[in-house]
Amino acid sequence: MSGSTQLTLVQAVRDGLAGEMDRDEDVIVMGEDVGENGGVFRATQGLIEEFPDRVIDTPLAESGIVGTAVGMAAYGLRPVPEIQFMGFIYPAFDQIVSHAARLRTRSNGRFSCPMVVRAPYGGGIRAPEHHSESTEAFFVHQPGLKVVIPSTPSDTKGLLTAAIRDPDPVIFLEPKLIYRAFREEVPDGSYTVELGEAAVRREGSDVSVYTWGAMTRPTLEAAEELAQEGIDCEVIDLRTLSPLDEAAITDSFRKTGRGVVVHEAPKTGGLAGEIIATIQDEVLLYQEAPITRVTGFDVPFPLYALEDYYMPEPARIKDGIRETVEF
Amino acid sequence: MAFEYELPDVGEGVAEGEIVAWHVAPGDHVDEDEVLADVETDKAIVDLPSPVAGTIRELHAEEGDVVEVGGVVVTIDVDDEASEQPEDASEPDESTTAAESSEPALKGADGETPVPEGRVFAPPNVRRLARELGVDITAVDGSGPSGRITEGDVRSAAEAEEPERKSAVTKRSDAGDKKSAVTKRSDTPDGDRKSAVTKRTTAGGTDSSASAEDHAESADRDRTVAVPAARKLAAEHGVDIDGVPTEKSRDGEPFVEVEDIEAYVETRQRAEPATEPSETTTAAGTPATAAEARPVSREPYQGIRRTIGDQLQAASSEIPHATHHDTAVVDELVATRERLNERADERLTYLPFVLQAVVAALDRHPVMNTELDEDAAEIKYKEYYNIGIATATEAGLMVPVVEDVDAKRLPELSAEISELIERARSREISREEMQGGTFTVTNFGAVGGEYATPIINRPETAILGVGELRQRPVVDDAGEVVPAQTLPLSLSIDHRVIDGAEAAQFTNTVIEYLETPSLLLLE
Amino acid sequence: MVVGDVTTGTDVLVIGGGPGGYVATIRAGQLDLDVTLVEMDAYGGACLNRGCIPSKALISATDLAHTAGAAEEMGVYADPAVDMQGMISWKDKLVRRLTNGVESLCERAGANLIEGRAEFDDTHRARIVKSGDGQGSESVEFEHAVVATGSKPIEIPNFEFDGDRILSSEHALALETVPMSLLVVGGGYIGMELATVYQKLGCDVTVIEQLQDALPGYEADVTEVVRERAEELGVDFRFGRTAKNWEGTGDGLILRTENEDDEREEFTGEKCLVAVGRRPVTETLNLDAVDIETEDGFIATDDRARTSLEHVFAVGDVAGEPMLAHTAFKEGEVAAEVIAGEPAALDSQAVPAAVFTDPEIGTVGMTADEASEAGYDPVVGQMPLRASGRALTLNEPEGFVRVVADSETGFILGAQIVGPDASELVAELAVAIELGATLEDVGATIHIHPTLGEAVHEAIKGARQESIHY
Repeated sequence: MSGSTQLTLVQAVRDGLAGEMDRDEDVIVMGEDVGENGGVFRATQGLIEEFPDRVIDTPLAESGIVGTAVGMAAYGLRPVPEIQFMGFIYPAFDQIVSHAARLRTRSNGRFSCPMVVRAPYGGGIRAPEHHSESTEAFFVHQPGLKVVIPSTPSDTKGLLTAAIRDPDPVIFLEPKLIYRAFREEVPDGSYTVELGEAAVRREGSDVSVYTWGAMTRPTLEAAEELAQEGIDCEVIDLRTLSPLDEAAITDSFRKTGRGVVVHEAPKTGGLAGEIIATIQDEVLLYQEAPITRVTGFDVPFPLYALEDYYMPEPARIKDGIRETVEF
Repeated sequence: MAFEYELPDVGEGVAEGEIVAWHVAPGDHVDEDEVLADVETDKAIVDLPSPVAGTIRELHAEEGDVVEVGGVVVTIDVDDEASEQPEDASEPDESTTAAESSEPALKGADGETPVPEGRVFAPPNVRRLARELGVDITAVDGSGPSGRITEGDVRSAAEAEEPERKSAVTKRSDAGDKKSAVTKRSDTPDGDRKSAVTKRTTAGGTDSSASAEDHAESADRDRTVAVPAARKLAAEHGVDIDGVPTEKSRDGEPFVEVEDIEAYVETRQRAEPATEPSETTTAAGTPATAAEARPVSREPYQGIRRTIGDQLQAASSEIPHATHHDTAVVDELVATRERLNERADERLTYLPFVLQAVVAALDRHPVMNTELDEDAAEIKYKEYYNIGIATATEAGLMVPVVEDVDAKRLPELSAEISELIERARSREISREEMQGGTFTVTNFGAVGGEYATPIINRPETAILGVGELRQRPVVDDAGEVVPAQTLPLSLSIDHRVIDGAEAAQFTNTVIEYLETPSLLLLE
Repeated sequence: MVVGDVTTGTDVLVIGGGPGGYVATIRAGQLDLDVTLVEMDAYGGACLNRGCIPSKALISATDLAHTAGAAEEMGVYADPAVDMQGMISWKDKLVRRLTNGVESLCERAGANLIEGRAEFDDTHRARIVKSGDGQGSESVEFEHAVVATGSKPIEIPNFEFDGDRILSSEHALALETVPMSLLVVGGGYIGMELATVYQKLGCDVTVIEQLQDALPGYEADVTEVVRERAEELGVDFRFGRTAKNWEGTGDGLILRTENEDDEREEFTGEKCLVAVGRRPVTETLNLDAVDIETEDGFIATDDRARTSLEHVFAVGDVAGEPMLAHTAFKEGEVAAEVIAGEPAALDSQAVPAAVFTDPEIGTVGMTADEASEAGYDPVVGQMPLRASGRALTLNEPEGFVRVVADSETGFILGAQIVGPDASELVAELAVAIELGATLEDVGATIHIHPTLGEAVHEAIKGARQESIHY
């Protein structure tokens, strides 16, 4: 039956994993609590019953989880290791950056690493330290890795499917703030959403606003409110951060001449800089105003009381857009 | 039943209203929402519609009376027994917020028809239809058996009524829409765009209202690409970048560079007519602000005036000026000119004589005919003599240049000077004709005055100001004070290049030739 | 347990899975709304688990046993034995079946089901507190909410329920043995139904009621039929007494009462059922966090089931009288429809009610007195069941069918039926009232003979002075 089902984002993750495991018996799911417990966010719920040989509960050892996965991948499997929270990925950083990202070049193409490292990322869920990271920039900076961040359930399933089928390593970051925030019609059956392609969430002519992940919804909310003030925003959800969809970025900027980048990651070294540099490289001549960055602050992610202040929300995003528009 | 209509609160802190005019009288029947009166508040005149249908029993205020909010203005005998309208009238705002909810019944959301109390003889679908159409089913006459209300009854009632919200007061000037007006720079003439964002059109300096023939060279594009620095330059000059002519393109779009902007600015400066304050209609030309205490009129500081001003500012700030004053006793010159004018085809002024005297002196004091090349750290001695004649015009000070003065004879000089001055005044003079001078003479004496401190015309290093030629007291050789024709001279020098002594020596030489004009025959 | 609080977003949050809640949930699902149902105990609520269903099960079982054993007149001789545990476990099984049924109906409607106790955090945010496995809490952000937290039995001072001597209706529906004697404090419908059940099971029942008659709210002639029958069965009634306190004894308790003249009395019994009414449950909701108004403990609602917070609705017992499961159904439906933007409202012309005593009582609409007070000139048709062929063949000739109508127009205004299957018979008249039907409409309709429904027809005709059979 080809239809669609209303799913939340985390349900779409599960659906995508189940679909690929069904289609390809090389796909392995592994991580802490992913098997018997079905994942702390239920992202892998029931998979161990459906595919008893291919869901592995690992010890609490991120470098081991990813290192094992790299080995599996090099020898032909398609592992999808889960890092329970992005804040725990750092012990595995070496495995990812020193090995996963380099296998292909190191072996001159003889080996590759078709692994997808999944991790819930981002803040806003009132969690303690380490549970609110948004450090995608660390991985974007490493050549040899793809970095994907979906913002809707239907995109999540398609992008995850595409990531699993990709012959090279993909870091798949899931915005846990919106894991269950809303449901959407997600097509049944397998489908892919191409990596490296941004999505225009809202067309507009006055200013290009670039964002991704959990920040997409507050950005769209800000755009709708600004429409009442006569400011027509174009909102681009980048979806893949590495490789960036440069054409989408510059096509939009060519049209509007003004830009804003919204991300929850800290400002310095954040991907807003990369996007702005790309714009400057390609379409400087169309620029009419400085490009504003609406981002997290250059401080360690705060706890409960200041969390809402740290993360960009519609009021702050609107201020940033107005700044550019009124230059 | 008698309904006492209290003046409702129309909001905005209005506490009372004046009955401007009654539209009804006792005994009149009114329908619901029919306008009873015009009421004037602090802000506006508003309609006072009737919240009930009935007959006017009594008016409690006369035209011209001021009634307080909450005071009874009219008593109406209501038509319908079962109506709940009296409650509505005193609670015009039916939307529920937690703070506003009042007992007994929770009012629910806007626009909901309340369920009537008591029995209604109508099947469920008809009751629902009534709610859907906003019909008060208790006011519907049933045409079904025994008076049962049918679907048709409800639909007819819906068409007859205007099932609108029972608001107590309608503002005549109701804005309706919540959308705030577009603010900021939305004065773009292309009215299609409702955007509040104006593409880099700069405030001030827009010539869209100035006469078109002055700007035959302007472009008229929708978009232009340019580097940020170019856009900045355009903004500084008050120029619309979409108006800068260009043949270049990048990425398929018209492309403008800094040099294009500069060239455009220059042509506009030249082409601009003398500005009268009233013609220039830019955003910058605003009338006196209320902040100034005394009446003031304004005139834009731009174009020629500004260019001259900028140049003078530069000269004044960069060159250390020193001025040497002296007076020539020129009885002989006066007599000579008179004699010559008896014979000449065209009347000679004194200026040609002055120029010849100056050139003769420049020849003897070459340091006065120089230019300081700061970059090369060199003083350039010019071996030719182009003398600029400072000329006052309506547009401002202009300095046409007489070239190779040393090669021209008196009548020729005279003619050329006259012509140049004439052309400068009539704005026919070209830019080239005002360039290339080596020394400048400014004849302010034509207007009047004795001494001055003229400002050097860069890149020259000296300027001679000539005062009014007239009789003044002098001391003769006998020590007696006698009247004589005198010509005051003011020589400003660039003290980096020329010393005071040299200035004095030069002036002495000029005076020598002016006092004894026949000496010029030797040059 | 998850570190952090990942909020679930939903269109409609339904708090409580009883009749009001689960119906709102299913209707909302039918209307394509994204709905989340939170239940802290069992689906189906009090009605399904501790009220309507268990009581009807026991009533049917005991009636069967009793009738079989008292049918000598009809030539049937029997002495049925009753296994209380067997009866209770049969009742439990069917309750479970229904509870699971409710759960799967909700799932099928697309609802997201969460087990836990919901409380308000904010006007658009609730916290679901969980116990047992999966400790902790989660947050739900909702556009709309429907509060359906129901009610629980009122506990009177000095009479805390202990399930041993002092029973609530819940306990009384789960007794594994029939007590020798039972004191029933409260002569309302719950007290009367359970009194009848236990008397028929051989228990010696005494009903102690504060007012002067049982079943207040019903007309005297209606109550009389039921009370007389109960007395025939052996139930003792003591009216005008208020229960004050009690004391446990070796094999039961001593109950002390006072009447309005302060005269004291003592009653003994093995157990005591206290059934004086039910009160709304709102303490689980943290209502302080939001501005929802209450009236006498009930959540105040309007004719769209809205509370004082426009986007929050309340349905069922928590929203006030009548505390009936079928009005909870209706309110749940209306709430869901209003949320979906439909022009629904609580505009029922009459709410039927039933008491499952012996015989049953079924009423709808106005009594004759109420009709007069409302300004109608009522006409009444009353058919005694001893004139009904079917009633005689059932060997249950006690009772009557009474219909009240407006004499001028013939619109049917109300009905009171006391007799076998009264709870079923009243449905026809409820439809008639809802449609705004007249005596002529129902009178013109052919009713099957021989049925009890025919008695309704006869009563209608009687109101038009056209009765044939009496």
